[in-house]
Amino acid sequence: MATSLLGRRTAIFCWAFRGILPTTSVLSDSFPRGILHQIANYNPKPLKLNLKDPYIPDKEGQKTPEWQKTLKYDRKLYGRYGSASGIDPEKLWPSPAKLEEIIAEEREWNPSLEVMLENIGAREKELAAKRLAKEKLIAANMAKMPKMVADWRKEKRDTKMKAREDKDKRARLLAEARERFGFAIDPRSARFQEMVGEIEKEERKKKKLMKRKLKIEQSLTPVAEAPAAST
Amino acid sequence: MSLTKKPGGKALEILQNLPRITLANLRADPGTKKAEKKRGRGQHGGNRSGRGHKGERQRGNRPRLGFEGGQSPFYLSIPKYGYNDGHSRRPQYQPLSLKRLQYLIDLGRVDPTQPIDLTQLVNGRGLTIQPLKRDYGVQLVDEGADIFAAKVNIEVQMASEGTIAAIERNGGVITTGFYDPRSLTVLCKPVPFFLTGQPIPKRILPGENLVPYYTDAVNRGYLADPEKIQQARLALAKKYGYILPDISKDELYHMLSMRKDMRQIFFGLSPGWVVNMAEKKILKPVDKELLRYYNS
Repeated sequence: MATSLLGRRTAIFCWAFRGILPTTSVLSDSFPRGILHQIANYNPKPLKLNLKDPYIPDKEGQKTPEWQKTLKYDRKLYGRYGSASGIDPEKLWPSPAKLEEIIAEEREWNPSLEVMLENIGAREKELAAKRLAKEKLIAANMAKMPKMVADWRKEKRDTKMKAREDKDKRARLLAEARERFGFAIDPRSARFQEMVGEIEKEERKKKKLMKRKLKIEQSLTPVAEAPAAST
Repeated sequence: MSLTKKPGGKALEILQNLPRITLANLRADPGTKKAEKKRGRGQHGGNRSGRGHKGERQRGNRPRLGFEGGQSPFYLSIPKYGYNDGHSRRPQYQPLSLKRLQYLIDLGRVDPTQPIDLTQLVNGRGLTIQPLKRDYGVQLVDEGADIFAAKVNIEVQMASEGTIAAIERNGGVITTGFYDPRSLTVLCKPVPFFLTGQPIPKRILPGENLVPYYTDAVNRGYLADPEKIQQARLALAKKYGYILPDISKDELYHMLSMRKDMRQIFFGLSPGWVVNMAEKKILKPVDKELLRYYNS
């Protein structure tokens, strides 16, 4: 079945079991008893090298095309006919100049394994460092977050309270003005402002009096304590 | 004269007396060939022959696939995005399932008593590699991992973890190696290359994007540390739950431990050698500079 599949390119079947060796190097005594190992050796298509009647072009002739005088063609001739082609085998390898070119090209385009590993290492390090820095930044900022949240909430609360207080104050002043003047007065008028100013003055005086009282009390108490302490 | 029975008996007699087999004497098995349906015949199949009534449909002048009568077609109204950028330049690896590998070994097309290489797979016509179509080699695929039972020393270009486990479970050795396009052409078609008379080139190292893959012991890369590979073998055996067979006690240990040098394309042939097919000889360079270049 395998033969029909692969046509004329196959089908020398070698039966390899103990004792009978195929052309491939198989350790005959290594196979366990009774197991048949079937190997289809690679039987290639016949190489039509045409060694009996080779065409070797005339190098000096004018009629021979240019491409048959090139180094590449010479190599192909040797590859096909061997020493019968009359080509000097030295020509098969690159000349010293060409070899230098090749080496230079390779040095430029194909770095060695160590260099490549270094580059890879450096790149990975850079990426890792970047990632670490970013993560550190995020961690630091996240650590600040509770405080920032609390501050913001406090600020909101304060503004709300302040607004409420302002409203209350305005209401109180209006009521006060109403009491004093006997009728609803527009808060934007001058009399209202005067009244407000007077109220503030009175309040300031009160505060000063309170402060003075506190100071006197404070100055009295240390004097009272000191004699108590000394005795 | 003894009454010996002729082998074949009456059947052979009949065959001998019948006329020569020609095309006129042959007929297909009933039921194997179904009559082709011919258009435009009969009361119902004729007339318009299933083409419809007038218009482009009947006259066979319909517009191209995707055309929507002038409306912006679907395949043009969706914007492009970089998923397919450079798709034609991406390296491709021809898949080889373990099922197929087992099939080839069973039929004798691939020899498991020798190291299995891409050359052996191509010789056994197991798969086709087209280096000119951005193929960079072969990749082993998991299908058939449960039925795989061959002890092989195989070298591929890419292998999945399951395939590595399947091969090592059976006492085999797997290596992943990189071949640049020129080396790959040489590897897949060695004889036409030898006929060109060029010296065997040395394998180029992989690019920076593939170096991590081939230096990693987990992928059994050819540039990886052998000790790390041994550790990776044990780790994989633990992961997949099989006992790792000791290949050093194997009869084919020498064959299983054969591995190519990182610049070598063929076993037994070094870069820089010229193979003469006509006279079955190998030519080796002697010049110092050449030797230095080819051995570097």
